[in-house]
Amino acid sequence: MDRRAFLRLVSYGCLAAAGLAPRSIFAAQGQERQRPIQFTFAQLKYRGGDWNPHALAVGPLLEELMQRTSVEAATTRREVALNDPELFSYPFLYISGKYDFEPFTGEEVDTLRRFLSYGGFLLADDALGQPGYGFDQSFRREIKRIFPDKDFTRIPAGHPAMRSFYLLRKIGGARMVHPYVEGINVGPSTPVMYCQNDLGGAWEKDQLGNWVNQCTPGGEEQRRDAFHLGINLILYAMTENYKDDLIHVPFIRRRLAR
Amino acid sequence: MDRLYFVGGLSWWVIGLIALGALAMIAYQFIGLRRRLGVRRAIPLTALRAIVYALLVFFLLSPGLVQTRVTKLRRPLNLLIDTSKSMSLPGPSGKSRLDTVKEKLTAGDDPLIRRLERDYDLRVYQFNTALAPVAPSAIAQLEATGKGTRLAELLTEAGRDAGANAAIMVVSDGIANGEGRTGGAAPQIPVIAVGAGDSKGYVDLRLADVTAPEFGFRGREFKVDLIVQAYGLAGKTVPLYFNRGKSLIATKDVKIDGDAFEQRVTLSYMPKEIGAQSFSVNVPVQPGEAIADNNHKEFKVEVRRDKLRVLTLSGSPAWNYRFLRMALKQDPFIDLVSFVFLRTPTDVVDVPDNQLSLIPFPIDEIFLEEIKNFDVVFLDDFSYRSYFNVMYLDRVRDFVRDGGGLAMLGGARSFDSGGYADSALRDVLPVELDGKGRYQMDTRARGVLTASGKAHPITRLVPDAQANEDAWKKLPPLKSLNQILRARGETLLQAAPEGASGGQPLLTVGRYGKGRTLALMSDDIWRWSFGAVGAKESPQSHLKLIRHAVRWLAQEPMFEQVQIQPVSGVRAPAEKSEFIIQVLNDDYTPAAHANLKVEVIGNEGEQIRLEAVEQAAGEYRAEFTPAKEGAYRIEAQADLGGKAIGRDNKNFTVAFPYAEAEDGRPRPELLKDIAEKSKGDFIPLAELNAASLARAAEKLDRLAPAEIVERREIPLWGTLTTFSIILVFLSLEWWFRRKWGLI
Repeated sequence: MDRRAFLRLVSYGCLAAAGLAPRSIFAAQGQERQRPIQFTFAQLKYRGGDWNPHALAVGPLLEELMQRTSVEAATTRREVALNDPELFSYPFLYISGKYDFEPFTGEEVDTLRRFLSYGGFLLADDALGQPGYGFDQSFRREIKRIFPDKDFTRIPAGHPAMRSFYLLRKIGGARMVHPYVEGINVGPSTPVMYCQNDLGGAWEKDQLGNWVNQCTPGGEEQRRDAFHLGINLILYAMTENYKDDLIHVPFIRRRLAR
Repeated sequence: MDRLYFVGGLSWWVIGLIALGALAMIAYQFIGLRRRLGVRRAIPLTALRAIVYALLVFFLLSPGLVQTRVTKLRRPLNLLIDTSKSMSLPGPSGKSRLDTVKEKLTAGDDPLIRRLERDYDLRVYQFNTALAPVAPSAIAQLEATGKGTRLAELLTEAGRDAGANAAIMVVSDGIANGEGRTGGAAPQIPVIAVGAGDSKGYVDLRLADVTAPEFGFRGREFKVDLIVQAYGLAGKTVPLYFNRGKSLIATKDVKIDGDAFEQRVTLSYMPKEIGAQSFSVNVPVQPGEAIADNNHKEFKVEVRRDKLRVLTLSGSPAWNYRFLRMALKQDPFIDLVSFVFLRTPTDVVDVPDNQLSLIPFPIDEIFLEEIKNFDVVFLDDFSYRSYFNVMYLDRVRDFVRDGGGLAMLGGARSFDSGGYADSALRDVLPVELDGKGRYQMDTRARGVLTASGKAHPITRLVPDAQANEDAWKKLPPLKSLNQILRARGETLLQAAPEGASGGQPLLTVGRYGKGRTLALMSDDIWRWSFGAVGAKESPQSHLKLIRHAVRWLAQEPMFEQVQIQPVSGVRAPAEKSEFIIQVLNDDYTPAAHANLKVEVIGNEGEQIRLEAVEQAAGEYRAEFTPAKEGAYRIEAQADLGGKAIGRDNKNFTVAFPYAEAEDGRPRPELLKDIAEKSKGDFIPLAELNAASLARAAEKLDRLAPAEIVERREIPLWGTLTTFSIILVFLSLEWWFRRKWGLI
C-alpha cells in the first residue's frame, strides 16, 4: 500500500469510527485496489554479479513518484530477464549491480537493442561506483555490443531529462563518483542513462522506514537529489523530449535565471 | 551544251606506260628517218606517226561527248497569308496588318499577286491554326480572326507536298504561338518570309509569364513572379497592383527605361486563411496601347495548412502518451503542441515552484483563443474536472462544429470516468455515454476490424485487404478498456476477448457539425507499437493508425469522401469539359444515389450549377462548357439521406490554347531566322515589290534552279569515224614513205 492509500485508509477509519463515513468509501477502497497503473518499475535480472544490490530501493522511489507527480505507479517492482516474454510490457527498465556480470547472449543483445531503439528506456545504476571495474566494466562492455557505433556522453544540464519535472542542478546518489549522468543518444532521444553514484543506495529504506545507506559527502540533500533524478528519469522515459517543446522553453529559462 | 568526258577502260598508269612506249618508238623512228632522209623529211613522217599514237592513247581513255539541253519551268510557290487575330492589330497608319498585306498584294495596275501567278505555279493559303486554300482573287476578302498562329507547324505542312524545287512565301507578323513557337527546325524548302507590321510604332504594356504556385500554405509566404514588358512607352513609370479578390495587397512602381522594356517582378503574400483564393495583378492601360487585355492577369492559389497542428492534452505521463508523441513527432507534416499534467492538485512537492519545470496550463489562451488554430485536438486520458470549468468544453464543441477534429483516447480519466457524460462533448463524441461506463483493467482484448473498419482509411494499414486483416491480427492484445453505452458513429474496431470474433466498440468515428470525431476506448494502444516490436514485428501499424487518424480528423483531401478527380491541363472556352466526382460512404464504400451538388464558380464569383449523373456506383459525372477565359473553381458537396458526406473543390483554368491577344509585337526576327535557316529570303512588307521579288527569284534559282535538263552521251571511241581518222593518218604516212623511197 502506498503512502497516499495509507493516509486515506487511516482517515476513513477515523470517520468510520465516528460513524460519519459514507457507504461509498468502502466501495472506493475496492476501486483503489483496482486503480489504474500507468507505470511499473521493471528491474533487469542478469546472470553473474549481483543484479539486486538494493532490494528495498524501489519502493521509496515509487512512493515519492506518486506523492509528487500525477503518475500512478505499481508499488512493487517487476523483475524481468531479457528473455522474458513480458519484457516489452515494461518500457522502463532499471539495471543495477556491483560486480562483473556475464555477457548477454547474442539474442539478448538483439532484444535489448530493439527495446532501446523503439521506445524503451534503460536506467543503469552502478552500486559499486568504481569506474572501470565490476559493474561499470561489464555494463559498458554490453552497451558497446548493443550500440557498437555509439559512446556514452555526459548529459548536459539542458537535457530534457534534467528538467522533465525538477529543474536539476545537481546529481545525487549514495556517493558522488561523478557530478553528471552519462547517456547513449539514439536519434533525438536518450534511451540509456547511466549513473555511477549508486542511486539505489540513496533510495533504499529498510522495513522500518529507515535509510539503509548514508549519502556522502552531501548527506540528505544529496539523497533528495537522487530521488529527484529518479523521478525526472522516469518522467523523461514517459514523456521523452516533452520539456524541449517550444511552449516550455521560455518558462524554464525564466526559472533557471532566478 | 556539249561536254567531253572519259569513261576510262584501263588504269592510268597502264595508259602512261603505253604513252611512254609510244614516245620511245617515235624517238627511235625519228632518229632512223633522219639518218636516211634528213631532218626536213623525218619530221613530217614522225609527226604523222605521233598523231596516230596520240589518237590511240586518247581512245584508250574511252572518250565520250555529253550533250545537255536545259528547259526552264515555272517554280511551285505556296503563298501563305497569316490571318490570325494579331494581324488585325493596327499599324502606324491605322490600317490593320492584314489590310496592309492585302493592299500590297492586290493594289495597282499590275498587282504583285498577278506577277506571282505569272512567274510561279502559285497556290495561295490563309493560315492561323490551320492551312486553308484561298483563290488569289479572294485575298481581298480575308479577315484576321484566327485564334492562334501555328507558324512553324504549318510551314512544315505546306512544304511537305509542295513538289520539286518548290518554295514558300509566308506573309506574317511573326507572332507564333503553336507548339513550335520559336521556329524549331528549318523547313526543308526555301521560305521567302515577308514581315508584316512595324515594331517601331508598336505601343503596348503587358504582364507576361505570371508564375504562381498552385498551392500555398497558411502562414507561409508565397511568391509570384511575372514579367512586365513595355513597347513604345520609354520614360514612363506605371504602377503595378497586386490584389486578393477585390482587395489591394501591394503596389509597386515600374519605371520603363527603354523602348523594348522588360523587367522581372516578384510579389509575395502570406495567406492567413485556408481555401482557394483568387489573386490578380494589373497595370493601367496606357494611351495608344495595341492590346488592353494583357494588362491584367488572374490566378488562383489553393491555400492549405502548412502542417497539421495537433494539440494533445494528457492527464498524466503515460506510455500511451509516450508512443502517441513518438508517432506524431516523427511525422514531418504534423506540428505538435502537447500538455501533460505532471502533477495533480493533490500532489505535494518538496521544493519551491521555481525548482520545478512545470508551467501553468494556459486555459484561457488555449480554449478561448488558440484552439481555432489547431486542426486536431486529442484528449488523452484527460479529465477537465481537476483543472478547469466544464464550460471550457463548450469551446471544444464549437471547435468541432466549425470543422475541427477531436479524438478522445481511453483511460481512467476519459469518457464516463472523466465526467464527459455531463459535458458539452457528450453530443460531440461518436459514442454515447451515460455516466456509468467504467474503466476496466486487466482485460485482454484484440482489436478486430468491423466491415466498416476493413474499408476505412484510418484502419487501412496496408492497401491489400487480406494483408490488412492479417496486420491487425498480429497486433498484441490490449489490457485496458473504457466501457461506453453504445457507438453513435461508425465502429471500425471492436475489442474482442481472446477467441471471440467481436465485442464492445474499441475505435469509433463520427461527425459533428463540419468536424470529425474519433473515440478510442483504451489507453493501452502503445502496445501496438512497443509490444509489436517485442514480438519481432514492425511498430509501423501503430504509427500508421495515428497518422491516418490525424489526417482523417483534419479532413485532409486524401481522406475526403468526396473527391473531384484531378483536374489537369487548360480547358478552352466553348469546349465541353468533363469532371468525374467520386463519393464514398462513411465506411468508404462507394456511395450510390448520393445527392450531389456541383457548382462552378467563375472569375467574377458567378455560380453555375452543374448536373451530376451517376455513371457507376459512387462515381458521378458532370459537364461544363465555359463561355470565356479565366480562372474557375469547381465545388462538389454530397449528402446521403440528409446526412452530409463531404465536399471537395478544385481549381482549373479556361484559356484558348493560343495566346494570340497576349503579345502583339511583330516578330520580324523570327521570320528572318526561318528565312535564313531555310536558305530563303526575308523581305519587309514595305519593301515587297517587283524588284525584291526578282531578287528573291534569283536567289531561289541559284539555290535550286527550276528547269528540266536533258543529257545525251555519245561515245567517241570504237566508231567508224575514229577508225577512219587513224587510217587517214597512216595512209598519209604510207604515201610519204612511198614517195620518198622508203617502201
